[in-house]
Amino acid sequence: MFLRQIYNYANLRASFHALQRAASSTGNTGTASATLLYNRDPQPRFTDPETQKLLQSMTQLQLEKIFQKTTVPDNSVDYKLMTMDMLEDEFRKSIERAKNRLQMPPVVQMKKDERRIISNDSALSGFSDTKYVITDITYGLRQTERKVVVRQTDGTLEHAPMEITKRMHQLYFPLTGRSIRTPRMFADEHLQRCLDEQKYLFILNRMVVQFDPFEPEFHTISSRVYQHINETKQFDILRSTRHFGPMTFFFAWHRCIDDLLYDMVRRDYLQNAAELIALLYKLHDMEPNYKNILKQIDEIKPKEDLALKELEKALKRASSDVKEDIQSAIGKTQVDFELDDLCLPFIEDYISKHALKKVQLELATQTIKEINAEKRQLFEGISKAHGVA
Amino acid sequence: MSLSPSSGIGRYYKHSAKIIRFVRLGCTNRPFYHVVVMERRKNQHQPVIEQVGTYDPMPNQKNERLVSFNFERIRYWLGRGAHLSTPTAELLGIAGFLPIHPRTYMTAWRNRQKVAEDGTIEAKDPVEA
Repeated sequence: MFLRQIYNYANLRASFHALQRAASSTGNTGTASATLLYNRDPQPRFTDPETQKLLQSMTQLQLEKIFQKTTVPDNSVDYKLMTMDMLEDEFRKSIERAKNRLQMPPVVQMKKDERRIISNDSALSGFSDTKYVITDITYGLRQTERKVVVRQTDGTLEHAPMEITKRMHQLYFPLTGRSIRTPRMFADEHLQRCLDEQKYLFILNRMVVQFDPFEPEFHTISSRVYQHINETKQFDILRSTRHFGPMTFFFAWHRCIDDLLYDMVRRDYLQNAAELIALLYKLHDMEPNYKNILKQIDEIKPKEDLALKELEKALKRASSDVKEDIQSAIGKTQVDFELDDLCLPFIEDYISKHALKKVQLELATQTIKEINAEKRQLFEGISKAHGVA
Repeated sequence: MSLSPSSGIGRYYKHSAKIIRFVRLGCTNRPFYHVVVMERRKNQHQPVIEQVGTYDPMPNQKNERLVSFNFERIRYWLGRGAHLSTPTAELLGIAGFLPIHPRTYMTAWRNRQKVAEDGTIEAKDPVEA
């Protein structure tokens, strides 16, 4: 009996905290209302193959970033003696691994928690002083198929709310890295501190493990992080990670791509900038001509073997070709210049028609135009001097 | 043949009576029950044939009692003619797997009566092993 009193006390305290939280969340509605959420189901648009292709292309596959040193328990290195074929094979495998790591977490609609009553038996009311939570632990079931039901003290049998279901799944079939209680870092004040320290990857990686994509917390936290990134303009932290795609999708969905576009233009990722605009047009059915430019980009872009290229780079072979020397000196190829010519008018068209930060973007495009023109002149001059057509 | 994670080491005799029942584990003043399939005539602490669930009779922090059942295996054993102990039958009734056990209705009725008499909630453990 005494124990039960303690439990009741704990319950009271928990509910008090919940009340406090509710009060504080209503208190700062200014920030709460600013949290952008998906107003309808984004999943069909997100899983669309064309969108996926755009997002993957914008994410970029930078191997140094994907395989950068992390704090893992085992950092040992294997040394092996290999033939060229084996080495090539190994490089291909590591590219596949990198692509796997860039697998994007899905963007789906938030799930609503509704009460689903199975049976109502008034003769049972008061049969117990606590409710019963019953979990099906049959082997080989998927998490979504696993039933969790609650028998309330008034005799009602109902499906458990999402919070209890998740807790029971974690209790009987634990997921490594996920904890039963929500980590404190996701509480408002701690999250704000993490954001201020710009630990975006840390938050997002932990969030992906802790919450399912359909949970409200997943949506609110990711939205907060993305908006904070949009304010601090640290897009490069997420580039070439699995969170870049969802972030871009979020910005395009909520029509706030201008900062990201500026960043892309400034870093001379003009193709990505064009893709971003195309994504915006696609999501909001704005201008149908974006398909042409994507097709043209596809046609111009050579299908290069990334694995082979990396292998060559790693072996540091003395390149026999003068052309390659010139390219590596300038950092751009003939194809890149052609792509720039294709993308720039498209970007300028967007800036003049739809952009909100017109002046800033126009300045950036002008600068990049001048730099590229200079580079092009240099490229052509050197090519001519070496007698390469 | 590999064993399923819940299989016990109890010997299986084809024609002996099996029962689905509780085994009291946990320690002094802290009961915790496994729901197991074993031979009816055996003592609860003898080797079991299979474990098919758990029951924690003490409410947790959020004031809920946790029960888990491997319903697939329970269905199988009931189909094989296994018996049910009363507490297990009560729990399965509460879970909505079987009809509510009469004893659950009895406790409910007695609890309500008691509340009506002296207005205090002094409910007993509904499922007593």
